[in-house]
Amino acid sequence: MRQPKRLHRLRHAIRFAAHAGAALLVAALAVLTPARAQTDSAGELAPPAGAYSAGVAYEWFYLVSQLLQQTPGNSPPVAARTLGYLGLTLYEAVAPGMPGYQSLAGQLNELSSLPWAQPNEPLHWPTVANASMATMTRMMFSNASAENKGRIDLLERSLPLKYPDDFDPAKVTADITNRSETFGKLMAMAIMTWARTDGGHEAWGPLRRNRANYVPPSGPGSWSATPSKYLPPLLSWWGEVRPFVLKSAAECAPPPHPPYAEETDSAFYRAAKEVFDISNAATQEQRQFALYWADDPGKTPTPAGHWSYIANDLLRAQKADLGRAAATHALLNMAMSDAFVAVWAAKYRYNLIRPVTYIQLFIDSNWVTPLFTTPNFPEYPSGHSVQSSTAAGILEQQFGKDLKFVDNTHNDRGWGPRTFPSFSAAANEASISRMYAGIHFRFGSEGGQALGRCVAERVLELRLRP
Amino acid sequence: MPGSRSKAPALLRLSARVLLPVVLVYGASPGWTAGSASPAVARFVEETETAGLQSRFEGEDEFMVGGGVAVFDCDDDGLPEIYVTGGVNKAKFYRNRSTRGGPLKLQEQRSGLELTNAIGAYPLDIDGDGNMDLVVLRVGEVEVFRGLGQCKFERANELWNIHTGNNWHTAFSATWERGQSWPTLAFGTYYDRSRPDFPWGTCTPGILLRPEPTRGRFAAPEPLSPGYCALSMLFSDWNRSGEASLRVSNDREYYKGGQEQLWKIQPGKPATAYTADEGWKRLQIWGMGIASHDIDGDGFPEVFLTSMADNKFQKLSGDGSRPVYVDEAYKRGITAHRPYIGGDIHPSTAWHAQFADVNNDGWSDLFIVKGNVSTMPDFAIQDPNNLLLGQPEGNFVEAGSQSGVASFRRGRGGMLADLNGDGLLDMVVVNRWEKAQLWRNLGSGKAAAPAPLGHWLQLRLRQTGGNRDAVGAWVEVQTGERVQREELTVGGGHASGHLGWMHFGLGEAAQARVRVQWPGSGWSDWVAADADGFYMLDRQSGLRSWSAP
Repeated sequence: MRQPKRLHRLRHAIRFAAHAGAALLVAALAVLTPARAQTDSAGELAPPAGAYSAGVAYEWFYLVSQLLQQTPGNSPPVAARTLGYLGLTLYEAVAPGMPGYQSLAGQLNELSSLPWAQPNEPLHWPTVANASMATMTRMMFSNASAENKGRIDLLERSLPLKYPDDFDPAKVTADITNRSETFGKLMAMAIMTWARTDGGHEAWGPLRRNRANYVPPSGPGSWSATPSKYLPPLLSWWGEVRPFVLKSAAECAPPPHPPYAEETDSAFYRAAKEVFDISNAATQEQRQFALYWADDPGKTPTPAGHWSYIANDLLRAQKADLGRAAATHALLNMAMSDAFVAVWAAKYRYNLIRPVTYIQLFIDSNWVTPLFTTPNFPEYPSGHSVQSSTAAGILEQQFGKDLKFVDNTHNDRGWGPRTFPSFSAAANEASISRMYAGIHFRFGSEGGQALGRCVAERVLELRLRP
Repeated sequence: MPGSRSKAPALLRLSARVLLPVVLVYGASPGWTAGSASPAVARFVEETETAGLQSRFEGEDEFMVGGGVAVFDCDDDGLPEIYVTGGVNKAKFYRNRSTRGGPLKLQEQRSGLELTNAIGAYPLDIDGDGNMDLVVLRVGEVEVFRGLGQCKFERANELWNIHTGNNWHTAFSATWERGQSWPTLAFGTYYDRSRPDFPWGTCTPGILLRPEPTRGRFAAPEPLSPGYCALSMLFSDWNRSGEASLRVSNDREYYKGGQEQLWKIQPGKPATAYTADEGWKRLQIWGMGIASHDIDGDGFPEVFLTSMADNKFQKLSGDGSRPVYVDEAYKRGITAHRPYIGGDIHPSTAWHAQFADVNNDGWSDLFIVKGNVSTMPDFAIQDPNNLLLGQPEGNFVEAGSQSGVASFRRGRGGMLADLNGDGLLDMVVVNRWEKAQLWRNLGSGKAAAPAPLGHWLQLRLRQTGGNRDAVGAWVEVQTGERVQREELTVGGGHASGHLGWMHFGLGEAAQARVRVQWPGSGWSDWVAADADGFYMLDRQSGLRSWSAP
């Protein structure tokens, strides 16, 4: 009933190939990496991932958005990394069931190959996805609370009941379920072996002792700890984390910011004065924008989680299939993770003073940011601007440039739903909101947008199809 | 199929034909169309207890890999001795006291090889004195023992200037580079022992020891860097250039940006790894073991790599000018990615691998030792060893269960070798946390009355100069139109080595022709050899029959 025309054509093609030369087909299946339709020993075609809903993907990324908020250590860069590996895991787990698609191994840094499904062992792709996501989620949130670990277990068990059309027991034998679970777990474990060596795994609390203490450079225009808590700089080494796609963080760099200056007629001073003036006289709308895109860790899913939520919601609203959802989550989340690596490298290279510090030094010694405290890392460029622009670039390619969409991320907080005319409109609002909040200069937001678009372009060069 | 089948009892052949399809359906379904006939199944009987094998490989974290066995003849009676590593337990040397053609009998004996922290062992005659020496891989310093004759050994690290450091040594292979009378030794290592809290990305480099034969010792170590947590390595003349390269199988679990490796080893030059520009395709697996054999008769060795579920069977593509390999594990029915009996549906964990002809039908079989790393719940706990029987079409069928060797213990190293001189390859397996096991090959018979399955011959090579055993030689055995081809290597498997009789199943053929491509030389003339015998093939004096003293 759910078989699309594409599936019918595939079945026809397989039958033809069987008549033309089964041995040749088998040899091709064994040698070629791109996914082909799976058949069992009797030649029966297994439904591809595209025959199932994106329900499994939706549920897992929905839970992950909550885990990001509630699990210690998920600062924005770490959260983006977590999402990146989860997106890739979902894609690689179901890619063998996406005819015409291929593994991304070989295109990602230091990842050359991954296990591949046996062509003659039909798998049930929702089960594969469920097992792989459950396994990877457990590993990525190993420090989750006991309650949240229980939620992971519960979700894994309950999905077959929640999506009976996708998990029809009349069509899925115990053997297929077992095989599918083991393949999903194997894929998660293989990707985790790679994840552990990216340099970001050490962000977890107990492993930080392997990192030497960072001493920020000092001097005019240099970043220094900001009020009110004057926290030490966050994850100063994150720019050295291995990106998924970018060859290095330097592949996408922001344009230089205006030279640091303290003279009142300098561009730098004017930029600081703009922050001072706007944030002091922000309209109610501007203040709402600032709060809406604050995406603070511990209170929200963080910036990357916000955009992941938008994509997840859209996939569900558009009734996307599992294959499409996997591709979207992989591209979006890996891109946002790379964006954080790139922006962190730039931040600690420029090591630029935050507006609050500058304004207190040269404009108003009693000034504080009006809405929330300045994050504890250097200013240039704006991280949220980078990753929002990256996200918008990916989602425009996945959903369309001028798609009007509803953002439900903050509904539970009473701030939504909000409707945006396009992804770029949302990204631009997120970007400029940082200036409204008094935590970034305008050039920080604009520089971040340029960097973010660069990251999106690089990630979109990945070849999901051979 | 050669005529071993004609000698097999009709009942056995019938049962094989009935049972094998059942196994195929239950187990890993191969991607090929089954051949017209099923191969004869060799029957094994476990003789661990009666033979007197009392070894356990034990230890925690640093002993999760390894667990090797060395098989070699050190008293020149033609029956190989066994040296079984024990991890934190004492490694034991067993003198082979088996009766020819009879039950296996081992006698533990003090030999000078007793030591702890041993995880692998490989025999070879390093100094060319005619006595087998032994390289013992350890968690810590590698120990090298010089054979003194009559199965006595003494440590030779200082004598031969072998100082490997205190790393975790997990792989070994040796070759004789052109013009050298002493071997070049390669050692692979695992992760940094000082970083157990965060071992990922800490794989340590391997080392290459080149000889200074005029001084009777080795030069200072050369690094094999980067190292990617090698669990097996093998010198092999992969493209028949006359020069062996070093293939290294690495464990993806711990390396950063690693891959499988093939090192170019040229006399007088530093080792260099083949690159993508040269055709080497990056591959990442949980590499644990290497088996090499010319399965398809094209003159080049194919390579089987063990891993966790994604085992590979690599065939050289092209004319050998570039190291381009394609995976044919699925095509040939040797993915061996999950247990084939026992009901555990989780992925398998494969360690030692070896090609050898256990049913003497003239087609090489594949022996794989399986076992969970420890108690990893997402991998099979009940993970039986495989015995995949080769077929003329180049495919394999699982026969581990019918053969009686489907052990569910946590296998690691192992070896197929003729331990009682009856022409049938017997089996030893080392298990983690459990006793090592020993099986006698009964052919088509029973314990009380073994019966041959097919003809065979066994061969040892001899030459003057340092490389007495002619490591690196290629042997061809012709029966009718068919030519079997085998390279004499030291290394590979998983932490387990064998040097001794080269075994060839001949099937129905009562006679064969033999020739050798000696290391660094061309092919010898063909010489005829009757089946079912042992032969010494001397480079100078030619082939002669060998009889037990």
